[in-house]
Amino acid sequence: MNFDLVLCGVGGQGVLSTAYVIDHAAVDAGLHFKQPEIHGMSQRGGAVSAQVRLGSAPIASDLISAGEARAVLSVEPLESLRYLSLLSKDGWVFTDVTPLKNMADYPDTAKLYEVLFSLPRVVAVNATRLAARAGASKAQNMVVLGAAASLLPFAVELLEKHLRALFQVKGEHVVKANLKAFQMGLSARAFKAALVERGVPAAVAARVVARLDFDPAPVPEAVVNAWVARLTRADGEALSKRLLASGDALPLDAQVPAALASSP
Amino acid sequence: MSQEILLGDEAVARGAIDAGLSAAYAYPGTPSTEIFEAIHALTKQHQLPIRGFWSTNEKVALEEAIGVSYCGKRALVSMKHVGLNVAADPFMNVAVSGAWGGLVLAVADDPSMHSSQNEQDSRYFADFAQVLCLEPADQQEAYELTQEAFEVSERLRVPVVLRLVTRLAHSRAMVALGERRAQNALRYVDDAGLYTLIPSNARRAYAGLLEKQPALQRYSEEHRLNALTIRGDGKPGLIVSGIAWTYLREALGARLEDYNVLRVSVYPLPVGKVRALLDRSSELMVVEEGYPFIERFVSALGLFREKPVKGKLTGHLPRMGELNPDVLREAFGLPVKASLTVPGLEEVLRPRPPRLCDACPHGDSYELINEVRRELDASMRVMGDIGCYALGYSKPYQAIHSCLCMGSSIGMAIGAAHAGVSPSLCVIGDGTFTHTGMNALLDAVIENTNIKVFILDNSIVAMTGGQPTTMSDAHLENLVLGLGVKKAHLRTLTPVPQRHAENLAVVREELAYQGLSVIIARRACVRYVKEIKEHKRERGASAPLEGDCANCAGGC
Repeated sequence: MNFDLVLCGVGGQGVLSTAYVIDHAAVDAGLHFKQPEIHGMSQRGGAVSAQVRLGSAPIASDLISAGEARAVLSVEPLESLRYLSLLSKDGWVFTDVTPLKNMADYPDTAKLYEVLFSLPRVVAVNATRLAARAGASKAQNMVVLGAAASLLPFAVELLEKHLRALFQVKGEHVVKANLKAFQMGLSARAFKAALVERGVPAAVAARVVARLDFDPAPVPEAVVNAWVARLTRADGEALSKRLLASGDALPLDAQVPAALASSP
Repeated sequence: MSQEILLGDEAVARGAIDAGLSAAYAYPGTPSTEIFEAIHALTKQHQLPIRGFWSTNEKVALEEAIGVSYCGKRALVSMKHVGLNVAADPFMNVAVSGAWGGLVLAVADDPSMHSSQNEQDSRYFADFAQVLCLEPADQQEAYELTQEAFEVSERLRVPVVLRLVTRLAHSRAMVALGERRAQNALRYVDDAGLYTLIPSNARRAYAGLLEKQPALQRYSEEHRLNALTIRGDGKPGLIVSGIAWTYLREALGARLEDYNVLRVSVYPLPVGKVRALLDRSSELMVVEEGYPFIERFVSALGLFREKPVKGKLTGHLPRMGELNPDVLREAFGLPVKASLTVPGLEEVLRPRPPRLCDACPHGDSYELINEVRRELDASMRVMGDIGCYALGYSKPYQAIHSCLCMGSSIGMAIGAAHAGVSPSLCVIGDGTFTHTGMNALLDAVIENTNIKVFILDNSIVAMTGGQPTTMSDAHLENLVLGLGVKKAHLRTLTPVPQRHAENLAVVREELAYQGLSVIIARRACVRYVKEIKEHKRERGASAPLEGDCANCAGGC
């Protein structure tokens, strides 16, 4: 078994913390791993990345080959697209949708989302907002890790265990906030999977997930059903596009605001 | 036996400590910084009796390490590749004198220039000095070869270069750790003449280095990691070194069985094994990270015609940039896997280069410099230096026009002044100033050259992650005055937007003066506030400097 991941974001966004949690969970699960990362000048607000290579046998190269990565975990939407040459054809992208515009020529957000949401397998969440709601504004990396968790080749509990270990020096409230953030990510991914399973087109589900305020608990069945009903109607796709474009966060169980509920 | 997740750099640190290290010295530089950081952290955490610190520069760091070695104890000095240029003088000479206690230089090369101005290959330096070079392929070997480097350095009495590259230095893996050896006792050299390189002794010492060569060659020839595998006469041959071995295994997989392979991890090159490989192979491909070092030897610069020798000189592998499994697949004609493609990607994807942090003091300094440039001569060139402030080259500032090597800005500004530029401006950080900038300032003092030196004092070595700076605050002013800069033309200002107008007045005054001015723009780095406090506390506790209280700007 081989399982390669790309972790990415902008310098200072906690990419290496995510790597720490995955590395330790992998070792705990008895896997071999190698994990290269970028230090130095790029950490001054530039694009940063790490790679995680997991395997049941010892791993030779520190670097991932083209088309081999099973997933990209990104803390920023533009960065989530930077390493696609490493992603396998059936690979996943997990990302925060919140742009970090610390560059003069940041692309138009609508165009960026158009590309992002055209990916066949994407879970994009408003991790920045969810992290703030969890009580740790810097925990967007853990939201994204939570979103990707069920894809990784070991038990989700191992990630939670090493997430605790990482943050325990910062106090129990930081641990709890990061765990909450992580569980919000888990919930988002499970919600998206449930929508798709019940016939919501993947792209439609992905757009809606990007705008919902998840709780650190599974989404109640009734709420899932309500969203399936909304999104499988004829105007489901149009609704998902309006929700994404609105940029507003939406409580999970809320009625869709009237202004967005139907085409203008 | 225990095991731990370690960066390549950390594996070197653990290897050194477990080899009975007595002292470690370093100057920060990506990708080598974490070696000393790990030693420092472990020493503190476990109260280990290991001395050392961040040195003023790599030359000094190596000299400190040599002092330890001459007293019979084991010392590690770590630096990035260009740091060895700075340390070249003691390095070439300690090769001649020889080591006494184990002396290891961990030097991290940066192919692809992730965080450097060149991709020079440190194996040339080891060869130039006629000493051993060990090149680990992975984190486990980094740990083991570091330990071995100390042992062989002591046994054969030569300094040993441990060559790392970025991808090993900055990649984590599980490393199995062994027992810790006790430190050496203090033990002076038996023949002090060999360590006193006046010409009569130096001739004797150099003869000694030459006499050691067969032993170095034998060590390389017999080394377990210089492994020759002949799979059949007439098969194509491969020479592969260092981290390239891991890429090669990944790229070729089972196809490796079709080749005769010589793996090289220890230099000087095991020429006997190279000869055996050549004799039994139809042709040769050399796969190495960095310059075509092995290839140049083996192909005799392409003059060797007996059999084809392929590599970077022949265009079979790229001459520049680092290797990876896909680069090797292409070189061996193997397919590279297709990846996910998405329409419209090119249109939205654009680079995100590093930039100065929000509220960075350097930004305010560059605003000032740009304003006087506009007033005096918009085309005026400003000599820059190495550090975060090199980002002042980019938009929106575009305020500096050179960045060559550590400490070079002041010397280049003097040169520019001599070429007719008046006034001639340069920018240097507090860390880089004490690294190698201050010698040039002495030249300017002697001549009273009309240069305007901006020392951007942010109280820390920021670029490499927040290491302590040698001189900041009042100490820096005392140092500049001590070098002979006139008190009237040493100006200190606080680069904040609110003081822009008054700062501008100061800079204008100094620009109007025909002679040497030093303008210290002092404001602490916004990113390493906690570290700055910590460093000040640590240093204050160990050695309070003159001026700590009298002129101190406060903060304690």
